[in-house]
Formats: sequence, structure tokens, C-alpha cells
Amino acid sequence: MSAVELNDVVKRYGALEVVHSVNLNVERGEFVVLVGPSGCGKSTTLRMVAGLEEISGGTVSIGGRLVNRVAPKDRDVAMVFQNYALYPHLNVAENIAFGLRVRREKKDVIEAAVKEAAAILDLTPYLARKPADLSGGQRQRVAMGRAIVRKPQVFLFDEPLSNLDAKLRTQMRAEIKRLHKRMGVTSIYVTHDQIEAMTLADRIVVMNGGRVEQVGTPMELFLKPANAFVASFLGSPPMNLLRATVVCVDGEPMARIDAADPEAALLRLPKAIGTSLRADQRILVGLRPEHVAVGNDASGDVQEIAATVDLVEPLGSEALLHTRISGQPIVAKIETPADVEALSQIGRLQIPVGRLHVFDAESGKAVNGHA
Amino acid sequence: MASFNLYSRGDRIFGYANATLIGLFVLSTLYPFIYILSVSISSGAAVTSGQVVLLPKDLTLAAYEFVLSDRLFWIAYGNTFIYTFGGTAVSLAIMIPGAYALSRARLRGRKILNLMVAFTLWFNAGMIPFFLNMRDLGLLDSRFGIIIGFACNAFNVILLRNFFEAVPKSFEEAAKMDGASEFQLLWKVFIPLSKPAIITVALFCIVSRWNSYFWAMVLLRGEEKIPLQLYLKRIIVDLTANDEFASSLLTSRYSFETVTAAIMIASIIPVLLIYPSIQKYFNRGITLGGVKE
Ligand SMILES: Nc1ncnc2c1ncn2[C@@H]1O[C@H](COP(=O)(O)OP(=O)(O)OP(=O)(O)O)[C@@H](O)[C@H]1O
Ligand SMILES: [Mg+2]
Repeated sequence: MSAVELNDVVKRYGALEVVHSVNLNVERGEFVVLVGPSGCGKSTTLRMVAGLEEISGGTVSIGGRLVNRVAPKDRDVAMVFQNYALYPHLNVAENIAFGLRVRREKKDVIEAAVKEAAAILDLTPYLARKPADLSGGQRQRVAMGRAIVRKPQVFLFDEPLSNLDAKLRTQMRAEIKRLHKRMGVTSIYVTHDQIEAMTLADRIVVMNGGRVEQVGTPMELFLKPANAFVASFLGSPPMNLLRATVVCVDGEPMARIDAADPEAALLRLPKAIGTSLRADQRILVGLRPEHVAVGNDASGDVQEIAATVDLVEPLGSEALLHTRISGQPIVAKIETPADVEALSQIGRLQIPVGRLHVFDAESGKAVNGHA
Repeated sequence: MASFNLYSRGDRIFGYANATLIGLFVLSTLYPFIYILSVSISSGAAVTSGQVVLLPKDLTLAAYEFVLSDRLFWIAYGNTFIYTFGGTAVSLAIMIPGAYALSRARLRGRKILNLMVAFTLWFNAGMIPFFLNMRDLGLLDSRFGIIIGFACNAFNVILLRNFFEAVPKSFEEAAKMDGASEFQLLWKVFIPLSKPAIITVALFCIVSRWNSYFWAMVLLRGEEKIPLQLYLKRIIVDLTANDEFASSLLTSRYSFETVTAAIMIASIIPVLLIYPSIQKYFNRGITLGGVKE
């Protein structure tokens, strides 16, 4: 039995359908992250699970119970909001206790629960303070405290870290992960930050335009994106996608990179994929920046291709090389060499054939070999 | 070493002009207070002969002795307290839930209901129909009538409603997920968050109740129910025509003027006492009502 189950869930505002038939099974204790660009329907989907948004179609079950018509407070879920929604007139202890108090728990039960939550979240010294006198990170922890005292079946998070600065965000991210390990509560977490998604998730749900594009573990999505959208959404910088046409040269599948001039570059594609391609098919060739190499440090089945360097961005131990192949941009992420200046003179890139992804240009779907 | 000045000459002149104008304004509002206070503690003879302009002359508490020993003064004072604080409590108990309901998006017919409330801001039936209405409801010459008849004020309801509407949605959603009932939501979230607006409205109610005079005069008959303002009117109108009072003037140190001044001072003391402690909310509340999330 899944902890949370969404079957063909639809959300409509009037005639406008913003979430189209979402299916998702979240297992008990799992940490699932919904990720996608702004406006893709992540929050709406989460809020339908919470009960804050009416479900226009399909079913949502929590712990095996159909909850479409169940009030938020009776769904046994707790939510952490983006703006924390801490009550300014209550101190930290009262904020954390609020959910128990309105449910008329016994005083000593409440006290013990607040104490425990405060200890877990390092909030003990701040219990008497008002939210206005806390730092952003502390407020964030109070918001989580309010959720955990209720000991719900499911935690819901809607971009809980997006109001924090970059450093604090990294820190709180680790804290959320630690908390999840310790408590093991099923969690659904919404973010538009793919790094948060990659680091926190047991499984990631990539959404786009109100649809689920792919569900899988972070590495599954990273290594085997089901379509060009997922490929370009995860990873930083994102996967390079080159527009190209399939041609067959000496029985080998090749991609002719679209170019303004007739000197179009040819890229050899993995043999295994060849059987799934047809000549003249329009495709996108995908290549992760970290898989592009310069110089002779690449190994395996590598092909060299002419490229011009536009810009070098040293990031410290790594550098981003913005280049062009047949006029199309391609970014390489490489180890910063001793001589950074020399990078701008590089005329060739090494591309490992086995690392190439191929997507049908029309549908965006990944083309996989039939091994 | 050259010092530089943050303010230009024009700025400074503007500043002085401002200070002068504000000073004049303060004086013009303060003067009547001081004058009435001085009259109330001067002798009747000094006041009648025009010797009191700013400071008291020929100090005496005779006027206060006269007023404070009048049984009707204390009855009127008590009535005013009941009308003011009882009335304000009843007003808030009606207006807060009403404004809250009007602020809810899922209230059916919300637009129409809000329009009906706002309508009374621009148009009302007028004095006679209101009087007839009170009469038909059996609310003439009744303390309850005074309290309930003026309990709701559209302006205050709208002010509260706007304030409730400006409470960020996530507070409500968080409370709902936490398990708060609709009543708990109002009592534990919306009311505490709207404290400045509620105190402002309470103050509006208190001030208007304390000073209310006209409707009490129209609706009340018996002496036992009149508020302080009406008592003051009776003193002014009735004492002038009262022979007994006229003859007592010959042997006492109070006069008609000093007695009315003493009543006025007695009637503003409670307002003077509570105003400073709630003034900060008063200033904040009025502007906050118009602020959106
Ligand atoms: N009340 C509403 N009426 C009409 N459309 C709405 C309403 N609320 C949300 N939408 C639309 O639904 C879509 C999904 O919104 P949602 O808030 O779920 O996006 P999101 O993925 O959470 O985006 P973000 O990352 O910006 O928070 C958006 O296109 C939005 O414009
Ligand atoms: Mg959102």
C-alpha cells in the first residue's frame, strides 16, 4: 500500500486545465520531490494532496484512504509553507504547539511534544521568542517544528527554502535530509531548484506544463532522461542539445549537425541506437557538459570535432567553456588547467560517443537502442 | 574646517513655518480646554465679570461640589459608562464576525452583501423613518435600544473587513491544516492579527458613544436613562429657568458658567485617561486598513 497515491489527478480553474492527469505513487517513508519550471503545477498538485485545493478529477489517497472529500485537518498531513506562515502574535513554543492546542491535546502532552521538537531542531533557546526576533533559518525551523509535533503520516513542503540565502539554503537542505533520515516520515517536497531535487530526493518527479514528464531516482533521471525536457532540466549547466539530422555513412548512424554553412559537422552516434533511427529523422543530440573533453584526456570511443571558443568562465577547480560546433552553442565543463588563457585558443573538442543521448526532435522523446 | 549642512535654506524656512503653524494649531485646540478648566475652578463672580481669560481667578471648587452632589449627575455618568463600554462591546461582538464573514471568498452572495453594507455609507433613510422604526420595534426610551440601535457602523465594518482580507492566505491555510475550526480561525488567528484595526474601531465606537447626544435626546424620555451629554444639556437649559437655582446663586460661589464647565471637565476625564494608552494603535490602525498583503 502506498503512503500517497494520485490517480489521474486533474485540476481545472473554470475551463482552464492546469494539471493534466497526474499519476504518482509515493511509498511509505519515501522522500519524493516535485520539480519543474515556474507555473508547471507543482504547488497545485501538492495543495490537492494537502486539501487546500479542490480536486477537479481523479483520486488522491493517503494511507490507502480516499481523501478527495476529506478536510485538510483530517488528512493526517502537515505542510511547511514557503513564507513559513508563523503567527506573529505567538512565540516559538506557542507556534509549534498551535496544531496540538486547537486539537485540544492535554497540556503535558503538548509540552512534551514541543520540547522534543525543539530539541530535534535546536530551537530550545528560542522558545520564548516571537518570530520577528528570529533569523530566516530559525523561522524555517519553527515552521518545520510546527509540522513535526503533529506526527503526521505525510509531510508536504512547498519551496520551504526559497526565502533563504544560498548558504543557508545548503545548510537547511542538509538539515531536512537529516530530519527525514531520523523520522522516516513520507515526504513530498516541491521545488524549482534541481540541485535541491537531486540532493534530497529518493525519487524525483519532473513536471512540465501540468504533466509529469518522468519519475525516477535522481541518477536514473540524470543518466537516462526520458525526453529532452528532463535532460535539459536536470544538471548544471544543463545538457547541451544540438539540432541535427540522421544520416547513414558506411552503415554507421551519424548526426549531421544543423549549420548555416554547408560545412556541417558529422557526429557518430552510438551503434545501439542506430536501429531505432531512420535516415533524415530530425533529432536532438544531447551531451552533458561534464562529458565533453579537451586535449587528450578523454578515453574510450572518442571522436574529435572542430569547435570555436566564445567564452571561458573559470569557477575555481572547474571551468566552463562556451563553444560552438557548426554555429550551435555547446558548453563544456572541464577541470581548470594551469594555463586558463590557453583555453580560448582550443579548436577541437573530444566527444565520447557512448555518452551521447538522442531525442526525437518532434516528440522530444529519448531514442533508445534495442539491445 | 568646512562644515556642511544637510538642509538647504529653503528647507529650514519650511521647517520653521511648519513648526509655527503646528504650534498655532496646538494652541488653538488647547486653549478651550484650559479655558474651561479655569472657569470650572474660578468663582462665579470672577467669571461673570469677565476676569477669567486664560488662568483661573478666585479659586474655588464650589461648582464641583454642586455637580458632584447632584444625584442625577451620577446616574447620567453611570448611563454613559453603560452606553459607551457596553455599547462598544456589543458593537465589536456584532461587527467582527460580520466583517469576517464578509471577507470570506466562499460566502455566497458576497458581492451583494458587501454592496448592501457600503450602500448605507452613502444613503440612509433619515431621522424620522429611523425614529419610527425604533418606535415600532419597541425600542423607545430603552437602554437596550440605545445600545443595539447604533451597534453597527458600515464604515467600521468595511475597515475591519478590509483588514481581514489583507491577512495573508497562508496563515489561514496553515491554521486549517493544523486543525483549527472556523471559529478558532477567527478567534486565534484573525483577531490577534488584526489587533490594531480592532482597537481603532473600538476607539471610534467609544468616542462616538461618549459624545452621543442627539439620539439619546430623541429616543429617551425618563431621567433615569439619560447619558452625561443629555444631563449637561438639561443643566444648561433647565437651570437658567430654575428659580431655586437662581436664588442659590446669590449665596454661593458657583455660577451657571462654572457649573457647566465643571460638568464638561468631569465628562472628558475618562477619555483623557484612556486615550494615551491606545493612541499608538489608533495611529497605526487607520492606515493599516488600506494596506494589501
Ligand atoms: N486561482 C487560479 N486561477 C487560475 N489559474 C491558476 C490559479 N492558481 C494557479 N493557476 C495556474 O496554475 C498553474 C500552476 O500553478 P502552480 O502554482 O501550481 O505552479 P508552480 O509549479 O507551483 O509554480 P512556481 O514554481 O512558480 O510556484 C499556473 O499556470 C497558474 O497560473
Ligand atoms: Mg509554487
